[in-house]
Order: sequence, then structure tokens, then C-alpha cells
Amino acid sequence: MAAMGGATQSAQPERPGRTDGVAGEFTVFCRIKPGHADELREVLDELMDAMGTGDRAALRQIGTLHDARHVIFDNDTQLLFASVFDGSWDTYIDDFATTVVGERFDRVFSHTEGFPGVKDPNVKEWFVAQQEPALVFVSSYPDLTVKQIWKDQRVNEAFQAVLDSSEFQAALENPANKELLASPAFQKLLDQAAG
Amino acid sequence: MSAEATDVPSVSLEIDDIQSGALRPRPSPYVGKFFVLRVDDRRDGRAMLRRLLPAVDGGLAGADPDHDAWASVAVTHQGLRALGVPRDSLDSFPLPFRQGMAARAELIGDVGESDPARWEPPFGTSDVHLVVSALSPDAARLEKALERVRTAYQETSGVEVIWQQDIRQLPTGRTTLGFRDGISHPGIEGSGVLGTNPQEAPLKAGEFILGYPDETGNLPPMPQPDVLGRNGTYLAVRKIHTKVAAWRQYLTKNTSSPEEEALLAAKMIGRWPSGAPLTLSPDHDDAELGNDPRRNNDFLYRENDDRGFRCPAGAHIRRVNPRDADIIGAARLHHIIRRGTTYGPPLPEGVLEDDGADRGLIGVFIGAHLDRQFEFIKSEWVNDGNFIGYSGEKDPVAGHHDGTGSVTIPQRPIRRRLQDMPSFVVTRGGEYCFLPGLRALRWLSELDT
Repeated sequence: MAAMGGATQSAQPERPGRTDGVAGEFTVFCRIKPGHADELREVLDELMDAMGTGDRAALRQIGTLHDARHVIFDNDTQLLFASVFDGSWDTYIDDFATTVVGERFDRVFSHTEGFPGVKDPNVKEWFVAQQEPALVFVSSYPDLTVKQIWKDQRVNEAFQAVLDSSEFQAALENPANKELLASPAFQKLLDQAAG
Repeated sequence: MSAEATDVPSVSLEIDDIQSGALRPRPSPYVGKFFVLRVDDRRDGRAMLRRLLPAVDGGLAGADPDHDAWASVAVTHQGLRALGVPRDSLDSFPLPFRQGMAARAELIGDVGESDPARWEPPFGTSDVHLVVSALSPDAARLEKALERVRTAYQETSGVEVIWQQDIRQLPTGRTTLGFRDGISHPGIEGSGVLGTNPQEAPLKAGEFILGYPDETGNLPPMPQPDVLGRNGTYLAVRKIHTKVAAWRQYLTKNTSSPEEEALLAAKMIGRWPSGAPLTLSPDHDDAELGNDPRRNNDFLYRENDDRGFRCPAGAHIRRVNPRDADIIGAARLHHIIRRGTTYGPPLPEGVLEDDGADRGLIGVFIGAHLDRQFEFIKSEWVNDGNFIGYSGEKDPVAGHHDGTGSVTIPQRPIRRRLQDMPSFVVTRGGEYCFLPGLRALRWLSELDT
């Protein structure tokens, strides 16, 4: 046989789910093990409490997760996990599995049917089997990754602090800075500073 | 070279069954040759393998690692098929290897000038079956190894050499772009191969060799039957042309003194020409440091260079080996062994015009997981920058730029931003290969299909 076996397949195994710009949605519906809903609810409460006390270290560690929610529904029989990631959700799944994020995944999904464990080599296939791709997924900021949003936030906070400083007011009034102030790039900055 | 067994193995690697081409560090200086062979008749192909077997080396170096030569034989998925490996065994290999490097071009950034449609034949075609290579510290010993290899294929009618490439270290000991290479090598548990960075724990053997647990605690996916997979590994073999004149022109155009030029080049690479890392010597080259194998890779980033004011987060060596830097994901899952070897004549010092000569490197990237090692590094670390907070930026040297890219170099008071980056490298060809263990090679040579 001369033909290349998989040459006509796409480079990546087809991962379902819609994308908009840099981000993609990842939505799974899992069957909760009979009698496990209350235990699962406790786990989710603990995760939520940890967030409430400001423990976002896990989110920082991920660095690609825009938002996520866990919902128990259908009479305590099903768990919805809906999330938005930069790139594809599975790019870093092996990486997450080695961290506290992986532990959390294990704690939640171990209450659902058939979950092989986040470190299992087949965990991606299991997630794909539970996945229901969204019919509509839109982002209001399709060009921005989580990392960029964090940077933008830090930059804006620093920018606002500069605007509040009396030294900046003085610099604006200093004739020596006239040329800088008139430059198109700086005018754009001042346009943002105006309101 | 630090290849002697001084650590206590926690897993017992069958080191003598593993081809020397997998784990044995490149000598310096080195000289070598790559061959691509096409197998037109499976029986002839196996007969050649049988003749080749005594010439293929296993294990690490003897007492004096710099004083011998070794040959390796790697097989593509098409090559396995051409040798008559049964269908269920062919299908048991991971998807990237089954598809081959050309089919993965978009994912790994082989686009534009590097598109497989423009590759040098026979790369990207179904003719690439075996990749045989030999490496030696000197020409005399290389010739002996090559003689054994030639004897094997010349006596076989149904096997043809369809491509060959000589490689050797330049007299400067540096790459065509003018930098010492081959400095960083991961430590591998149980192998006796010590890492070149004393601050990093050795990696699990299963990151590099099939049949042993990897960093996730699992065994790497094993092709079947077991005898074929065990002690094997995967190679991404690439011929990469370097545009040396374009590189020099870019540096000249964007600086105003030889000192600035040297610094800009170092900021893009992450090391000075001598090999001295910017993180340890941020302001000037330090040949003594660069030449010292005990010190030139002995550093991390987080404690003293977190923001990249010394070595930019986007510099080549920091992207492809981020050590303990603050990145998205777990760096330990994305290590490979890099064995770069130089081909073609050097562009004489000071020349800024392209002389049309083909020069660059044959890069061999080795690991047990093509997808989460070589391909991940290319797609997430070389051809994107979100993992370090520079979304859309690429590796200044190894990235496939289209003339519009930017590269951020942190400095105070404000960062420098290189704009309109051209490409300095072009992929001329490549293929994914399986490097079987010696028992597996024998099994292949004795197939009866």
C-alpha cells in the first residue's frame, strides 16, 4: 500500500465545541452516580467557599480558563460543566492533571458515571463522550486571551493611578512636553484618559 | 559530556537494548551522515535490516565516550508498512506518527515557505521509509561505521538510498547562526544520562523511552506487539535551512553598534555566542562561562529573572525550555532531547549578502510522546506566545514569521518591541520516525509476512 494512512485526516483529532476568536466553549453533561448528588453538592460547596475566600490560585495556575460553572439538574441525576477556554480545552489537560486543578477535577467527576480519573490516558476521550457542543457560542472579546485580559487590567489600573497623580497634571501643563502631547499615539492615550 | 552512570537507578532501563541514537549525547566535535532509504521489496528490506543489525549500536558510551562512532536506524510509519508489519500493529501507533510530519504541518507551523508542498524531495512523500544516521567524533571512525552501513544496503536490490546529507560541527564549534549549541540535555531517571542542569530533577524514563512510566505516572502509549514497542522512541527529524544573511541584515538594520548587535542577537537567542546564558551573564559574553559545561546550563529563571529582564521570556532557549519560569502548564511534560547537527558551508564572517548556499541544521527531536512533546512545543511555545503572556508572538529565531510578527524584549523604562519580523529558518523537509529497540529491530528483520 503506497498511500499514507492518515494523510487525509485533519491534523488534530476533531474536538467538538464551538470557538469564537481565541476562545472555545467546552460543555459536558455527566450522569451522577446514584445516591452521590449530596456528596457532590458538598464538594462543589467547598470549591465555591474556597473561591469566596479569595483562593483563585487554581485559576491563575490554569491561565486559560475564562469562566466555568457546575450545575446539578434533572432531579439530582445530572451534572453540567460549562466552561470557556483559550484555545482548545484539551491542550493543557495533561498539565492540569499534575496540579491542584487535577485534584479538583477528580473530586468532582469521581461522583459521575464512568469517570476514569483525570490522570487516565483515556480521560480526553471520556470527556468528549460526555460533551454536547453548543449551538451558539459568542464572545464579546474574541481577540483577548485570559492572560491578555489580566495584563490589560493591570495596565489600566496603573494608567488610572498615573492620571490621579499631581505630577502627571503638571507634566501635561509643562511646555517641554508639548510635542509628545501632540503626537497621534499620545492623543489616543489622552482620548482614553478623558473619560 | 556527562553520560556515565553515577546516579542510582530507580527503574531499571534495558539500556543496551535502546539504540545509542536515542540517549547518547552528541560528541563535540562531531561528524556524521543521514540517509533516507526506500524499501521497494519487503523481503529485501528485512534482509537489509538483518545485515544492518550488527552495525547498529545500543546503550551508552564505553569508558571513553568520545572515541567511537555509532549508527542508528529509524523507521517511518510508511516504512513499517513497506517492511510488511501487520495492519493491527500499524494501527496501534499514535495518530501523529501514523499521519507523518507533513500531514501535521499546519499544527506545527510548517506553513508558507516551510509548507510541505515546497519541501525537498523525498520529504513529504510516501517514499521515506528508513532514516539511517551515523555520528562520530572524527571522520576516520565515521567512515568505519558508514562502511558497515553501506555494505548492508549495497548488497540489497530492493532497497534504495534516495537522500543523504553530510553533517559536521563547524570549526568554530557553533551553529550557522554563530552560537554554541547542544548545551542543554535533560536528565533521565535510571539511564545514567545526567542532565546538564544540576538544579533540575531527572525526568521519568517514560518521557523518552517506551515501556517505562512517564511523568504522568502512566506508561506511554505502546504500539503492539510489545516486542516492537519496548525500548523504542520517536524522532522528529527535520532539515532546517537557516537564512544567515537575513539574520545578520536584520541585526545590523535594527542596531547602531557591534555591541548593540551582539546584545540584540543574544536577547533573541537567550545565550551569547559562546553559550553563556543571559540569565547568568546579562550584559556581555563570558567565554569562560560559555565553555564550562558545569556552569553553562546551571540556572533557573524564577528567582532571579522572573520578568525576563536578563533573558526575555520570548527568547529561543527560554521558550523551548522554560525551566521553572512562570508559564501556563507544566514544563516537565514538554521536554525533548534535541540533537542539532550542522550542514552546509558557513557564511563567512561579516558577509551580509546571501550567497545562495544551502546551510542549516538537521534537527533530531526525541521523545516518547510526539503530541505532547515535539508538537506541543512547536504549536504552543515556538509559534505562539500566550503561555508567557505574549499572545500571538513567536520564537524570534525558530518561529515561522510572515514579516508582520512582533517580539517583546523586556527592559526598563519601556520594553523594546521588534516589529515586522522576517523568518530566519525554513523547513526543507522532515518526518516522524520510530526508533525501535534492538530486539524490535531484529523482530522487524525476521517478519514473515
